[in-house]
Amino acid sequence: MNTLQHQTRRHFFSRCGVGLGSLALGSLMARDDALAPKKTHFPAKAKNVIFLFMAGGPSQLEMFEHKPLLTQLNGKPIPDSYVKGKRFAFMDSSHRSDLLGPRIGFKQHGQCGAWVSDYLPYTAKIVDDISIVTTCKTELFNHAPAKLYMNTGSGLFGRPSMGAWVTYGLGSECDNLPGFVVLQSGPRGPRGGAVLWGSGVLPTTYQGVPLRNQGDPIVNLSTPEGISSAEQRKVVDAVRELNLKRLVETGDQEISTRINAYEMAYRMQTSAPELMDIRDESQATLDLYGIKDIQETSYARNCLLARRLIERGVRFVQLYDTNWDHHGGPTENLEKHLPEKCRDVDQASAALVKDLKQRGLLDDTIVIWGGEFGRTPMGEVRESTGRNHHIDAFTMWFAGGGFKGGTLYGQTDEFGFGAVENPVHVHDIHATILHQLGLDHERLTVRSQGLDFRLTGVDPARVVRGILA
Amino acid sequence: MQRSVLIFTFTALASCLHAAGPISFNRDIRPILSENCLACHGFDPKHREGGLRLDTFEGATADREGARGIVPGDLQKSDAWQRIISEDKDEVMPPPKSHKPPLNAKQRELLKAWIEQGAPYEAHWAFIPPQAPKLSADGTLPIDQFIQAELNKHGLKPSPEADPATLIRRVSLDLIGLPPSPSEVDAFVQAYRKATPAASDELYRALVERLLSSQHYGERWGRWWLDQARYADSNGYSIDAPRQIWKFRDWVIQALNQDMPFDQFTIEQLAGDLLPKATVNQKIATGFHRNTQINQEGGIDKEQFRIDSIFDRVATTGSVWLGLTIGCAQCHDHKFDPISQKEYYQMFAFLNNQDEPEMKVFDASLDIKALNAELKTVEAKLKSLIQERYDEVLAWEKEMASGFRAKLAGPVKKALSKTVAKRSLEDNLALFGVFAPPSDPLRILNDQYQQLNTVLNKGTTTLVLKELPKPRKTTVFIKGDFTRPDVEVQPGTPSVLHSIPTKSGQLNRLDLAQWIMSPKNPLTSRVIVNRIWQQYFGRGLVETENDFGLQGSLPSHPELLDWLALELMKQKWSLKALHRTIVQSHTYRQSSATTPEMHEKDPQNYLLGRQTRLRLDAEIVRDVCLAASGLLSPKVGGPPVYPPIPDGVMGQGQVKRVWKVSEGADRYRRALYTFVYRASPPPSLTVFDAPEGFSTCTRRVRSNTPLQALTLMNDRGFFEFATALQQIIQSQGVEAAFKRCTARDPRPDELAVLKELDALNAARVLLNLDETVTRE
Repeated sequence: MNTLQHQTRRHFFSRCGVGLGSLALGSLMARDDALAPKKTHFPAKAKNVIFLFMAGGPSQLEMFEHKPLLTQLNGKPIPDSYVKGKRFAFMDSSHRSDLLGPRIGFKQHGQCGAWVSDYLPYTAKIVDDISIVTTCKTELFNHAPAKLYMNTGSGLFGRPSMGAWVTYGLGSECDNLPGFVVLQSGPRGPRGGAVLWGSGVLPTTYQGVPLRNQGDPIVNLSTPEGISSAEQRKVVDAVRELNLKRLVETGDQEISTRINAYEMAYRMQTSAPELMDIRDESQATLDLYGIKDIQETSYARNCLLARRLIERGVRFVQLYDTNWDHHGGPTENLEKHLPEKCRDVDQASAALVKDLKQRGLLDDTIVIWGGEFGRTPMGEVRESTGRNHHIDAFTMWFAGGGFKGGTLYGQTDEFGFGAVENPVHVHDIHATILHQLGLDHERLTVRSQGLDFRLTGVDPARVVRGILA
Repeated sequence: MQRSVLIFTFTALASCLHAAGPISFNRDIRPILSENCLACHGFDPKHREGGLRLDTFEGATADREGARGIVPGDLQKSDAWQRIISEDKDEVMPPPKSHKPPLNAKQRELLKAWIEQGAPYEAHWAFIPPQAPKLSADGTLPIDQFIQAELNKHGLKPSPEADPATLIRRVSLDLIGLPPSPSEVDAFVQAYRKATPAASDELYRALVERLLSSQHYGERWGRWWLDQARYADSNGYSIDAPRQIWKFRDWVIQALNQDMPFDQFTIEQLAGDLLPKATVNQKIATGFHRNTQINQEGGIDKEQFRIDSIFDRVATTGSVWLGLTIGCAQCHDHKFDPISQKEYYQMFAFLNNQDEPEMKVFDASLDIKALNAELKTVEAKLKSLIQERYDEVLAWEKEMASGFRAKLAGPVKKALSKTVAKRSLEDNLALFGVFAPPSDPLRILNDQYQQLNTVLNKGTTTLVLKELPKPRKTTVFIKGDFTRPDVEVQPGTPSVLHSIPTKSGQLNRLDLAQWIMSPKNPLTSRVIVNRIWQQYFGRGLVETENDFGLQGSLPSHPELLDWLALELMKQKWSLKALHRTIVQSHTYRQSSATTPEMHEKDPQNYLLGRQTRLRLDAEIVRDVCLAASGLLSPKVGGPPVYPPIPDGVMGQGQVKRVWKVSEGADRYRRALYTFVYRASPPPSLTVFDAPEGFSTCTRRVRSNTPLQALTLMNDRGFFEFATALQQIIQSQGVEAAFKRCTARDPRPDELAVLKELDALNAARVLLNLDETVTRE
């Protein structure tokens, strides 16, 4: 057996400890941090993203798609040529599938003359600041897979979400909050759960961190009961001091990353509660968003928090508002429950755009509004009226970050069933968002299982120039 | 924040390390072709540009209307070469639209020399069976011979052995996933320091044997296997209801503890139900492929998700045993590896023929057959007795006052509402139950019947595979879309690998499992030794542990890989023997500290001139803190448990789930027993990169994030460990607590830092040290 094994460790360090000591501590402590800001592929138009996600599939036909023929032919069957060969959710169910006229009136607004329904009086006032795309198209018609598709570009579990990709591509400019934050409102979590903001094949460093409305805003954020903040600081300092000693002894860079992580964790303990405490906002701001109770969880409060997060340098903020699945069941119809959801989000979504604009943040920030799919022109008549899931044409809007305000993009047929002009696939949306952030969707890749994964998948995707300034 | 986000750097390193010798196709040329050319000029004919393929000699040299991609020995006439060196952006290869940069000077030089030397091709290294390498007889262990030979080439030397305290902690964590107790450390360190080299080897050997025979060995390596089996305790997707399949988890632990040979281990999991006279345990083992998700969402097409689960099984089988990305051929022929879409569906056909039942598993002490027979006898006796005495029921019914009828219990009323002919055994038992006296033989017989029923209904269930009597028809699906069936296919294996023996009748899963474990298979043994190596050194000898195909990286030490692969088979697939071989080596036992010279010459430690410090796996982070604080329950196996988790975690999914915190010892079980809901897994595990079980995980990433810091500092569970460790500090001193966490004595300067704090906060610091959660 090799005599090397029997040299003692002490001897080893007496020899090379000197060498290590001569490496400057500064170089050992190099910020090798995966979240450090990174260079873009080309100059960026925007730095941040706020994605307002209406989970369940909002009905474009009661919000943005004005289809007079649908009113005229209400109750008549849809021509066979439209539905032949299509698959729908609840295929086996025998709900009627006749055309259903919109449940609400529409008017034209703004200089661009966008049609917006009377359910959305506040959104109607910002149409000249947003790009409305009525021809969005996705691939999957069940909620969880379609949500995954919108967020990760794939219906399979385990792919990185858009927020993770963006944080991976750009790093974070915030050293006391996570780079990718998720906020939730509505009666329950979105279908699919944490995988919607997961990091998939990317390191967990990039996964979305949900800011919670109950208990700690971040899991395990509070110092344990009975421990004062002075004690916590002492603990962090002692951990740092002992870890530094180990770093010098072993030369392992991971220890320096861990030391940084403890510092950031400690800062988060202060900065996250401070972020969530909106008492310092003016009454005018609260009124703009429609926030009545500053403690109560609501979509409106989340919109305001989104602005506060962007102000603090957070890269990607995603809001989920649930219960947009209006099939026509007893608690999910188009006459009563859809307008309630619209009231929940209309004022605050518009306020967010206005507020970002007046604070000079809108130029740098892309705001996205939409869900995982839209709803069919045919009605579903259950206890009351609703519509089924529809993947061929649905509406999303975009604001800020170099998107051209007042744009109406894409044209659907007279029922709003499919695109007749300028279809925009989910992957095109992804490519466009990345493009505005200075990232080429074909170059933003990660190698796993022998493949270069990317957000936009393997089929070609295009940047939708028509909605860009 | 991660050791290596992009791990595929070895190819580049390999070529610069080896470029001195003659050109080798597999080492020097194939990586260049694979990375730059084969996506458009490879195996997949549908995406083959200009009809040129460069993955075979025949293809590269074929005459295509006068042009030839490569003309051996003639650069001028080699079309491919001319395109590579072209400065015309419409001509140059790879084309700018591929986003691949032009080949660099080094790559060009290699290609040029290779074409000049006649452009010889070689079969892909991983498809050639392992070759026994030459060993020297100087007494150095084989692993160390291969590692030291490479180090020598680069003017480096292995590090000295780690000190004995580090060594015992390292090998304990690696073999059983638990730290050594302070007394184990003391005994080992004292004896080791005093011993002669030969005697210290013997001490170490004895330590390794003790650990390998511990029940906890199966837990630590069981978790390694459960990652690959994508094990979790719920159905996944959005509804994510709980499921029972922990019997499979326990089967894995037991099989490893018994050192079941890996070939048998494989065959039982893939096809245990098809073995002659399959035992209950062999059926439980088939739970491996039942760890797929089940979608319970409304409005779905069940067939779509059944097909999805089979896609997952094909991909998992490919990754886990073959180290091939077979799943890539689901929608089209594989772009890089010689696997056609048709061959993919031939593999699919093996896995398409089963029912997916729940199986009841009883306590091993019960004779279920006898109990069932007894139940039948009792049931028959009851039936005939009832028939004989049915007059009694009729008489009772006749005499009954109408007011009385209304007061009868529900089941009795229900029985009475039926005609006599329609009454079931249960109905009649209910009726007799109203009027028969306590001593009535019918009542006594009924008690016996009910008891038997209770016992037989009790057992735990587990998910298993069960072959259908008649196989399902399997077709190719166009673009992987189950609504677009194409030609029918029969079960079969990829033609690039060893052939599968034919038989009369259709091949089944058992044939597939035996084919995988055939000694002729060039892949499986290499793939498994590599994946075990990866656990010890943080990286496999083949860095792309799930891709041994053409896109994968080359082995850093090909001869060592082959030697280990052959050794595993020679040791009759004993995994314990393999562990023994690895941990005995000096390569394993050397210090993990780095020196400026090593840091400069081999920063990523590809050459293994030192050990690597590795942050512990998520479960072991918990287990180490449990053990250090003295709370650990050593119980092995059994139903999953529910340790404390942060408030609100279970409300994040679509359906809120109840999490009733376990009491008593079950609160302090090892983390692999914690119940895992795929859609809302325990945060303290996921922040440390535990997989959620959505798909097979053959290598965990090791992230290093602020959320980990928050978990160790603030999580309710970890704080509870700290309060237990505080008591140890109060009774035995902070030195003892330090040793429980790190297996070493604190130095005075370290002690001084800790002494500044009260016992509770000193305990918290100890559980937060990098060293505590790291294997050094």
